[in-house]
Amino acid sequence: MADIFTLGIDMGSTASKCVILKNGREVVGSSIIDSGAGTTGPQRAFEACLKDAGIEQGQLSNITATGYGRNSFEAADFVISELSAHTLGVHTMYPQARTLLDIGGQDAKVMSIGESGRLENFLMNDKCAAGTGRFLEVMARILEVGVADLKDLDAKAEGTISISSTCTVFAESEVISQLAKEADIPSLVRGINASVAAKAASLVKRLGVKEPVYMTGGVARNTGVVRALEKELGTEITVSEIQQINGAYGAAVYGYGKVR
Amino acid sequence: MSEIRKNLDELKRIAESPRAQLDRVLSEGKKAIGVIPYFAPEELVYAAGMVPFGMWGAETQVTESKRYYPAFYCSILHTALDLGIKGEFRGLSAVMIPLTCDSLKGMGTNWRFGVKDIPVIDVAYAQNRTIPAGEEFTESQFKKIRGQVEEIAGCKISDKALSEANRVYNANRKECLRFTELAASHARIVSLTDRALALKARYFMERDAHTELLRKVNDELAAMPAEQVKGKKIVTTGIIADSPELLSILQESGFVIAADQITHESVDFRALADETIDPVKALARRLNDIKGSSVLYDPAKGRNTELAQIAKACGADGVLWVLTKFCDPEEFDYVPAKEMLDAAGIPMLQIEIDQQMVNYEQVRTAIETFKDIL
Repeated sequence: MADIFTLGIDMGSTASKCVILKNGREVVGSSIIDSGAGTTGPQRAFEACLKDAGIEQGQLSNITATGYGRNSFEAADFVISELSAHTLGVHTMYPQARTLLDIGGQDAKVMSIGESGRLENFLMNDKCAAGTGRFLEVMARILEVGVADLKDLDAKAEGTISISSTCTVFAESEVISQLAKEADIPSLVRGINASVAAKAASLVKRLGVKEPVYMTGGVARNTGVVRALEKELGTEITVSEIQQINGAYGAAVYGYGKVR
Repeated sequence: MSEIRKNLDELKRIAESPRAQLDRVLSEGKKAIGVIPYFAPEELVYAAGMVPFGMWGAETQVTESKRYYPAFYCSILHTALDLGIKGEFRGLSAVMIPLTCDSLKGMGTNWRFGVKDIPVIDVAYAQNRTIPAGEEFTESQFKKIRGQVEEIAGCKISDKALSEANRVYNANRKECLRFTELAASHARIVSLTDRALALKARYFMERDAHTELLRKVNDELAAMPAEQVKGKKIVTTGIIADSPELLSILQESGFVIAADQITHESVDFRALADETIDPVKALARRLNDIKGSSVLYDPAKGRNTELAQIAKACGADGVLWVLTKFCDPEEFDYVPAKEMLDAAGIPMLQIEIDQQMVNYEQVRTAIETFKDIL
């Protein structure tokens, strides 16, 4: 029997992610482009993923789009919400997961997952950059470091300089004021990571913490935020191996389900 | 079928052109009085031969009202005041402003300062509305308002005229309630937008005229067989849920509104005025009988019990909590409601809406996912 290739594309607000699955399990191609919905990012991610998998578009059984820009990808055969895609993705890879926290560039979502993998309940952040990747981007810019550097700086911290403002704009002023006082940068970064974690943890607590807790999204790469979240929630958090492409992976799994 | 469409389109046209309706009323030589939510005794206006004109804000971007209110404030009041300052309500003889919630408490002062050509009629209710002293207080306020309305109308409001107004309003309430039931059982004919706008139109036209038009729709729907519901059935709850974008997302997602507990809709017309007692007392007592609104004090939080009952009675798959952004009373009610519905096994989704929203993508994602989990 011929192999079945399904493609999932997750068009987020700040990045486009793509996954090609072979026979519903094996990731044979993936791509991440740092341009989101409304840009050339989705198309570039799509083409890069085909290239990575070494197959032609005609070999795909179907394409499933998800994410913020999901309704604008013309080649899509199916469209599913990112919450459903993330749930399917994490359940396929980690069937034991009961809570999933996904923090992306512009939003945060928490999903409660049943034993069968059914999405039982969910919450999304309230249109506020605090507690999302955007907060970290703003702070990294002021600190003149890359977002990817925040985890290493956090690891070097000997203390924590707390950020009291929830609002990103006010927090930005607070950080600038700390910099003017020549505050210790690693301790400041740890405070910034803790601020994101506190906001995201409140979302998880509102839904209810069901263990084990998993995490996806670009922010999951920041071990400082993950550690702070573990402290806030009082539980261990496992970061998905495919944290940034979990949504696209879930979409590809969905597509495979449609073929079967 | 074509008659139903014609009448629904007419109600839609009226709901979407409030200023044109006001101009029509004024051109007929009638006076009109604006009615800010919630539950003002507009029957007094009708009884005085004038036309009440609902003012529930609008989907618009505010500029002028920002001088009076902070950005994080009820969008109904923000947009209503903004339109008032910009002259959109020119021609109104007065505006009734109730004091039902904390946000409304500053509205009268702001209106007096910002919209000098339209005088204010303050509408105070007893906080403890259901005890005898509370009812007595509310009644005394309505008597005072009766005098203010009489002064504007230039004529006395007889008890007979007020009793007739109560009868007209009760007839309208019954027809509106009947419509919500028929719309749920004929969802392929009555879209969610049709439903919302047919109900909304009553705020911009004489109630007897609205009743007549809606009755024609109802009679035709009643003569048709009920449809098998194909989508998921939900109960909506909140202050207002007439956002075109929201309704369109719900429609596209295949939801059917089986019933509602929306203050702008059914909450306003479920309670009737007692036609057998003194007509002013009847208005005060109707206020006591209104259930399901966060802006009327209810220490027992009966709204939540009623919400679960409504959901069960109509076989709803879930409840959609349409939270008007920055509405404290709604936020206070949400927590006990969520606990109660969780215990009753009724799924609920909360979405946040305000009248200045332009991006509904997060709402779309939440609603589409809610459909997936029901």
